[in-house]
Amino acid sequence: MRVLIHDRDITISDPEKEKYDRVIYADGRYAPCQGCFKCWTKTPATCVLKDSLQEMCRIIGLADELVIVTENWYGGYSPAVKNILDRSIGISTPMSTYRGRQMHHTLRYGGCSTVRIYVTGDVSDKEKETWKLLVERNALNWGASGHEVIFSDLPDDMEGTDL
Amino acid sequence: MKTVFIDCSPKKRLSASGFIMGLTGLFVFGKKKKEKLRTPADHERIMSELADADNVVFSMPLYVDGVPSHLLPFLKKTEMFCLDKNKDLNVYVIANNGFIEGKQNEPLMRIMENFCDRSGIKWCGGLGIGGGVMMNVMRILLIVFLGIALLRTLLSGVSEGILFPAWPWIIYGKQILEVLALGCGIIVFDIWLAICINSKKEYGKHYTRIMLPSFIFILCADIFFTIISVFQGGIFRGWFSRKKPT
Repeated sequence: MRVLIHDRDITISDPEKEKYDRVIYADGRYAPCQGCFKCWTKTPATCVLKDSLQEMCRIIGLADELVIVTENWYGGYSPAVKNILDRSIGISTPMSTYRGRQMHHTLRYGGCSTVRIYVTGDVSDKEKETWKLLVERNALNWGASGHEVIFSDLPDDMEGTDL
Repeated sequence: MKTVFIDCSPKKRLSASGFIMGLTGLFVFGKKKKEKLRTPADHERIMSELADADNVVFSMPLYVDGVPSHLLPFLKKTEMFCLDKNKDLNVYVIANNGFIEGKQNEPLMRIMENFCDRSGIKWCGGLGIGGGVMMNVMRILLIVFLGIALLRTLLSGVSEGILFPAWPWIIYGKQILEVLALGCGIIVFDIWLAICINSKKEYGKHYTRIMLPSFIFILCADIFFTIISVFQGGIFRGWFSRKKPT
């Protein structure tokens, strides 16, 4: 399954949408993670907060290819996109293992094949280095075999843009 | 000198970030103000405290290799405020993650450093802690153990007629020492951080952890989550199943 998460307040063209099985617009109209871990211990793979992100971990977990388009915020994701990722830790289980010689959680859905991040907006050189490290760490946590970060000012109309 | 401590954990109470921040605060002198940042309703109150502050300490959990999402809008407001007022501020960070390796907090530290660069304020460094949640659990256990020691003292008084037996308190003393041994890295680096705050010096980036071999920590974490999942019922609701979107 190909999943696109983006924080751009635009209409994505139909041909672009057709490339993806799920297109998720990060509009920020949902609550942030409360750090309760109940998506592990009480209602596995379901967030206890009843809004549009309640089952988001299932969509991200089932993605073979995950594409994220996000504005740069200090070398990290925008709040709306980060909120989606924070609310999706149910892609893993509470049990721990070693990956990359470090402690990580075992993955409920197995790893995805690739993670590709498009970063938009003004990005300093230092922030670019932060992004590279962040995406590398995310890929390790999500069990992705490949990862890529692209710094690009995408046009307002995504039509024709190869994501 | 005024230092504002901000507990950025979204948890209402008993957060590990708040506990470790409080520990640091014990060794910081001058005027201190502790704040809790959970919702946008907290922003204005904390901003008003920052107006006349010399230092700010952000204490937060690591979420998906970065800062928790609810903190980002506050950072943006702080950036605007500092640029507008040409504010001098020393920024220190305490980051805590649920894994054993403190080094896993590195991307979060860099994000906070980038925030300081954009805001024109001074990045003074941070302490990244691995397994700090265990210190949090241990401090709760110490309170439980204190209750057990008191109960043993009482029962001993009733059954043996000894008013203040030593043995329950020797056991309790050993339990305190065990906690101190497990957390010695965190405590030492915390005191060092406080010394730097007091002298407004750069701390640099340092990483520490709970003093346990990682395979024992993993075993403890697995047991902890299994027990919680049994009590909360998650273990019976497809604990590991690959659930599909409904």
